Amino acid sequence: MPFTLDRIEALAPDQASLAAARKLLKPAFWPTLAEGEGLIWGECQGSGATPYRVAVSEADAGYKCTCPSRKFPCKHTLALMWMRADRSATFAPAPVPEWVKDWLSRRRGTSSSPGKPKEDSKPKTQPSIRLTDKAETEVTDPKAEQRAAAARERNRLDREAAVLAGLDDLDIWLADQCQHGMANFVAQAAQSCRTISQRLVDAKAPGLAGRLDALPTRLFTLPGPVRPTAAIRELGQIHLICQAYRRAAHIPELLAADARQAMGWSITREALLSDSDGLRADAIWRVFAVISEAQPDRLRRVETWLWRANGTDQLLSCAVLIDFVPLAGGAATSGYVVGDEVDAELCFYRSTIPLRAQIATLKKGATQSSEPFNLPAEPLGVSYAQYEDALGTLPWLGAFPLAFCSATLRRSGNRLFLHDDQNKLSLPLTSSQSDEALPLASVDHIDGIGLWNGYEFTLAWAETPLGRWLRT
Amino acid sequence: MIKSVLHTKVLPALLGGTSRHPLSADLIHPSGVTSDGMLEMLSLLGQALHFTRPLSPDSFTVEPEIKDERTILDAALRRPLVRLLTGKNATDHPARALARAFDRHRLRPHPFDLPLIDGFVRSHAEQLGTTAQHWADRQKPEAETRSYFDPDLLDESNWVHPRLSRRVAFLQQRRHEDADAARALLESNWPNEEAEARFRLLETLQTRLSASDQTFFGTLEKDRAPRVRALAAKFLSRLGAGTGNPSLQACLERIKLSQSGLLRKRTVLQLELPANVKDQAASRWILQTFGEVTLNELARAFHFTENDLIEASAKDDSLLLALALIATNDRRLDLLERVVENVPNTWQRMFESGLDTLGTTTERERQRWAEIIVQPYRKDLPTAFALWDWLHRVMDESAPASVMSMLMKSNFLKRLPDRERSSPPWLELLASICPAQQRSDLRAQLAEFEPSQSGNATALLEILDGMEKNRTHAKES
Repeated sequence: MPFTLDRIEALAPDQASLAAARKLLKPAFWPTLAEGEGLIWGECQGSGATPYRVAVSEADAGYKCTCPSRKFPCKHTLALMWMRADRSATFAPAPVPEWVKDWLSRRRGTSSSPGKPKEDSKPKTQPSIRLTDKAETEVTDPKAEQRAAAARERNRLDREAAVLAGLDDLDIWLADQCQHGMANFVAQAAQSCRTISQRLVDAKAPGLAGRLDALPTRLFTLPGPVRPTAAIRELGQIHLICQAYRRAAHIPELLAADARQAMGWSITREALLSDSDGLRADAIWRVFAVISEAQPDRLRRVETWLWRANGTDQLLSCAVLIDFVPLAGGAATSGYVVGDEVDAELCFYRSTIPLRAQIATLKKGATQSSEPFNLPAEPLGVSYAQYEDALGTLPWLGAFPLAFCSATLRRSGNRLFLHDDQNKLSLPLTSSQSDEALPLASVDHIDGIGLWNGYEFTLAWAETPLGRWLRT
Repeated sequence: MIKSVLHTKVLPALLGGTSRHPLSADLIHPSGVTSDGMLEMLSLLGQALHFTRPLSPDSFTVEPEIKDERTILDAALRRPLVRLLTGKNATDHPARALARAFDRHRLRPHPFDLPLIDGFVRSHAEQLGTTAQHWADRQKPEAETRSYFDPDLLDESNWVHPRLSRRVAFLQQRRHEDADAARALLESNWPNEEAEARFRLLETLQTRLSASDQTFFGTLEKDRAPRVRALAAKFLSRLGAGTGNPSLQACLERIKLSQSGLLRKRTVLQLELPANVKDQAASRWILQTFGEVTLNELARAFHFTENDLIEASAKDDSLLLALALIATNDRRLDLLERVVENVPNTWQRMFESGLDTLGTTTERERQRWAEIIVQPYRKDLPTAFALWDWLHRVMDESAPASVMSMLMKSNFLKRLPDRERSSPPWLELLASICPAQQRSDLRAQLAEFEPSQSGNATALLEILDGMEKNRTHAKES
């Protein structure tokens, strides 16, 4: 059944959704618009780090969007249907991509009255496309702008003071932990970290609070005997962040920016993209890992790791797009899937080790590629040395990509190790991969890439004589 | 500060607590007047630990070398296969069809997919090759696993090594070719077999049973496994030796023999069900009671031929069901056909009985069996999903071409209730039982459904077609 504006009005959850959808009707927002086998799909660059992927079944108006909106259908879905209904954009015929096929295979099937909401769920007034025609004019008042800017500056100063006071409390807490001993800390980490992280939230240092809140979980994923030393490493890093933040004026500017980010000072997408000094890289990127992790603050952190498929820039060869979505109802994974190829210009956050980025310009939609991965021909030991260099530059470095060639996966007891025989280096694989990566233990050699967090290696991609292996 | 000092002096103090193990003053270098230097030591030690490379284990496990001669599934089929088997709506019918296809075409799943389709591998390991069996057994203690050997061609020198189902099939084939040689083969390795293997291998001797087997069965009367002892006694009883089949007596007690007819007296047999067995439970009781009896024994007990036995039971549906079950068990499909002529709803009655296996029947026998029990319904195929579901489970084969033709020509899907017609389980089931030569016809019928309804069924047909091509390419190369 083709889409009509009446049908879209019937589907829309409210008038605001239709108004928001209207703003997305420009084809420029949609690097991909395609159709095939009774389905239409597209990619829309929204406020998230990765574009949202939308697929719609024309027959029964079934839909799927990767955005975290809790309105169903969301504005992206409505916009896609709308463009289809009024033929304002061209949908290129294309084979159905894997992500759409995945969605189809998980669909429950059609409802009894496809494309029509239930009577009781209808709003009292039917949303109308005609009403969205009214031009929205924004009236700007210069004086109000000035007042708002002054208020923002006051808030910033207040927050600076609150953060510094919070760090003083944190120092006392850290000293207490040292006095009681790390073996004791591990036993009471959950309660102890919860208390101090709440105080840091009050002190407006959410980044550091989150790091402390997640610490017990991180410790408990490690084998028991190493937990106390891991606690020393983590608490030591936290103290380093505090010190770097306090001495921002005396340390390199980029390191100070890292400390501010670690503290929780956020940079809006608009501010990042408008920074003319920011590092940018225009290239074709391959998605090699998508890591989704629930945080204690009821948000899901979704990391989409990209590897540069062309060019030779050593510094900007890897990037990570980070999205935060609500745990309840939000998408569990990135819009991109491992293996996607993205032609885009990325804008990197200011950092001594620039990894986190946002998509500044998306040249075209992502496509699945079966091309071999463009990995550097270096053994694991060399990549690990690069990690150590990076750790020297940024002491609180988080997950770091390690690309390698000619490694083997070996088993010792129930644990798997990525082994570089040449450099006598063995990195333990994360315990959650002990099953999924086990088949690689029977392969002679593997080239690949993964993420090292200082304790465990998460293997993400491997090229082997038996073919390609991807983390699930 | 040198690293060794951090490890030998600072680390123990921070682990145990500086209140109990104070850091010596010469180690501490405060960064400011407000600092006592302890937190600086914490950061310094933490960073030193960060730079400590992870320790390699003393030794690594030597991975077993698994010889798997099967061809790995084509790369293009891997993702659709994983999607089909792990989809949240997937039923187990596609899994059965796929497992059969893996076995028939001597293919195996890609080793990297084994963790993704773990449930499927565990359920059908025997049909998926030695690598998959090793994967399914990975949690088992070493003593419980057997060698993983699955050669393309079996002969008398290597038949003891592969998985049990292949051994059973091999022995059955040998029994058909040379009954004595097959028995001798089984006898030669008998002491090394486990109870389950002894039972299933012994079952194959049912084919071409003869007096020359009697000595071997006699030695099994003291076997440790009760099932093996019972089976040997059953065979001996069939051969007219041994102490007789104890189950036979229980059956005979329930069968009433009488004469009927005015001009020509005919013997009539009637099954008297126990008073506490109601209609619903009758079929189950019949299977339990007659499961261990053979047609030959029963006929001999009444001094009938097997055909006479069926004729004498013609007026009693319950007794005919018993005979149908016995004929199925005895692989006497000619007699089953005669029974079904008298009881057209044998299919439904067998389903109600709870019959769950066709034993050691061949693929052709299974298909013929299905053909016989479905044939009476040709004008009005049943639309109860449970019946078709059971048929596929028991047969564990694709449907005979004639049955599939009946389904296609009868516009079967259109006759289903509206609610069920487009339900994925129906479409998946039909795709799972569809023989290769009729897939294109089925695909045409599936095209009338929404992709969300027919997606899994269509994907299954494509994978099955792809597996056939995969095998053909492998053979050519």
